[in-house]
Amino acid sequence: MADVAQMPGVLAQLRLIAGLRWSLLKNSMQRKNNRWDLVGIIFAAAFGAVLVVGLCFAFFAGASAFLAGKRASWMGLLFWAIFLWWQVFPIFVAGFGANFEFKTLLRFPLSWRTFYLLGLGYGFADFAAVSAVCWVAAMVLGAAVARPEVLPVMACVSVLFVLMNVTLERLIGSWLEKILAKRKTRELFIGLFVLSMVSLNFLNPVLQRYGNAARPKILEYLPYLAWLPGSLAGSAVAGSVRGDPRAILLGTAGLLVWLGVTSGLLWRRFAAQYRGEELSETAAPAPTKKNNAIAASAKKAKGQSANGEWLPLVPATVAAVVLKEFRYLTRNGMAFLTLLLPPIMVVFFTMQFGNGSPLREHSLKPEMFFPAIMAYLILILISPAYNAFAFEGKGIQTYFMAPLRFQDVLLGKNLFLVALVTFELSLSLALLVWRVGWPSTAMFAATIGAGAFAVMGQLTIANWSSLSFPKKMEFGKMKGQRNSGIAVWTALGVQIVVAAVCTVIILAGKLLGNPWIPAMAFTGLTAAAAGGYVASLGALSRLAEEKKELLIETLCK
Amino acid sequence: MGEIAIATEKLTRTFGALTAVDAIDLKVQAGHFFGFLGPNGAGKSTTIKMLTGLLAPTSGRVELLGLDFQKHPVEVKCQIGVVPEGMGLFERLTGVEYLRFVGRMYGLDRATTEKRAEELLGFMQLADREKTLIADYSHGMQKKLALAAAVIHGPRILFLDEPFEGVDALAAGALKALLGRMTERGVTIFLTSHVLEIVERRCSHVAIIHQGRLVAQGSLEELRAGVAGSEGETKTLEQIFLSIVGQSGAEQARLEELTWLT
Repeated sequence: MADVAQMPGVLAQLRLIAGLRWSLLKNSMQRKNNRWDLVGIIFAAAFGAVLVVGLCFAFFAGASAFLAGKRASWMGLLFWAIFLWWQVFPIFVAGFGANFEFKTLLRFPLSWRTFYLLGLGYGFADFAAVSAVCWVAAMVLGAAVARPEVLPVMACVSVLFVLMNVTLERLIGSWLEKILAKRKTRELFIGLFVLSMVSLNFLNPVLQRYGNAARPKILEYLPYLAWLPGSLAGSAVAGSVRGDPRAILLGTAGLLVWLGVTSGLLWRRFAAQYRGEELSETAAPAPTKKNNAIAASAKKAKGQSANGEWLPLVPATVAAVVLKEFRYLTRNGMAFLTLLLPPIMVVFFTMQFGNGSPLREHSLKPEMFFPAIMAYLILILISPAYNAFAFEGKGIQTYFMAPLRFQDVLLGKNLFLVALVTFELSLSLALLVWRVGWPSTAMFAATIGAGAFAVMGQLTIANWSSLSFPKKMEFGKMKGQRNSGIAVWTALGVQIVVAAVCTVIILAGKLLGNPWIPAMAFTGLTAAAAGGYVASLGALSRLAEEKKELLIETLCK
Repeated sequence: MGEIAIATEKLTRTFGALTAVDAIDLKVQAGHFFGFLGPNGAGKSTTIKMLTGLLAPTSGRVELLGLDFQKHPVEVKCQIGVVPEGMGLFERLTGVEYLRFVGRMYGLDRATTEKRAEELLGFMQLADREKTLIADYSHGMQKKLALAAAVIHGPRILFLDEPFEGVDALAAGALKALLGRMTERGVTIFLTSHVLEIVERRCSHVAIIHQGRLVAQGSLEELRAGVAGSEGETKTLEQIFLSIVGQSGAEQARLEELTWLT
């Protein structure tokens, strides 16, 4: 017979788990790298706090203005804004969410009800939820100031709205978790997600072109939105302003139905987890068929390019790293799909601001387009280099076990990145020429020079950042996938400096009336950056040796 | 006395206030199958990491095959193979791609790499998993692949950190067969394991580390001789181990304190 005299209550269990989270955070600060990471997070949190507090004033002012100025029916817009934020934002920034598997608590004697409440409670522990609750509170305050008689209905509706939102967010999150648990579905899903996010950029140009024709059709469907939570909350509050008990009843009942349905579905989902649902991939089954696949593979390999010899000018170790990087790219569905981004963005920008756009009178000339697009593409493509070992996992040990200088690894990785960036930029610039035409030869040369300088100038610092602030990332995983905070700020800082230098040089060319000055300046800068890069390789190899414990520990977790 | 394959001199590693490995002097002769034992947290993995260049010592020296590791890291690494803790695999490669990659990293030419990768995968019964990513291998298959990668360049010393952990009897059979073949060829094998039966059956020489200090080193016979026992009794490695780390009978004494469990 176990000696458990009395089970801790729900509150005691919640306190215990809050304590556990605090201890995890506190203990993680014992590591220097995590302390640096925290600095980055604090910066991000400070920006987030400014956004939340600023919008609190906006929601307060909006609610009090709508209720005081006979526009109570517009309250629905405020609820809609919060609803969309709460449900959509966590999907976008899944990486910033609490990276804690509360299912690990299942080993303890938690009651089903406690498990459900804990799961629901976690819904309040992310940025979207905290900010949304602040904004709802600001709206309640605004209502109390503008029309105190509305306060009881407003407060009741707000509580229902908050509960419904947190339940729905947890429901969506738990379903996403189920979908994302298998590697293949996970990668497919994330790929589709990225593509759909990218295609959202085309909404504006499409609306500009076809918006007038589509408007009647859209208006036809608008009334159906009245049954969704944002509209229901708004109509209940508006009803209380008009003294219309039917509208209040319908609005709150509607919200209650939403809360009931989402709670029921979440209850089912959590029940499956409580019963011990196993979502993770299982080990591959034992081989069933015997064949000579490997012999066939070897035969095929003889006809193919094997590691190394397809890159005759570099050492075999560097070529092996380049080939490995290529294979990793082709198996990282999300990274592979993001390579579609640059050409898609070129098409998008040229639709939006090019000659063919509806904003024809404000359209940009090729002289502006080339450097601007180049800057944007380099920003996208170089950022991963600041955490270049993110996906190595336990394989990082191979680099330290093998008889090579670490600079070969850096060189291989950088070589692959430069090849990739060159390919992407060539493709994008070709698209740009097709869409908006050629710029002047001098500007074209300056753009290419600026691109070469921006890439070469960043590689050394990116290598340093990768070695100093590594952060493990996993393929096709959304939660917890972020670079070290300090690496993000380093990348941002360097990119701002590089962009500023390039802008000053291009403007200097214009001011001095010699369009070839930028091209010459960039050639000199690129040569200097290349010299610095080569000179840094030895020092970075030594740094890798110093940081190998950190790298292995971080990436092998 | 034959050639010394592994020698350490006052090898020490500290983590803040904790001394994980405390001035150990280790000597392993070439061709020996050497078992490195110790309780959990004794410093086994830390030592093996320092011996293979995965962790820098705080002080002391490591010499492998007569070469100072600090001064000649690349030359030393060419001579050794390692199955580290966690196996160190690139999980997004297939088995054959990983072996090709490792072969090239160790400086083998293309044809040799291809041939050896093919033979090793065949031997390890991984050949029909041509398109399967390592991430999708079972734990035992990953262990076999990690061992294949560690031997692809024909090392003279092989370091294995818990090679049989989480491996079923079938996979363990393949690993043991390969290790047996290597010792026949004169390769020095340095192995840590919690499974004392395996060490007893395979290893000719053993060292025991306890709380970061080397408390015993020698052949099994030498260790047996150093442990007092009744006349005619042949001590098992487990008995020797418990006796040396001072835990013999300790569990029973501690268990008696847990009166509430009975």
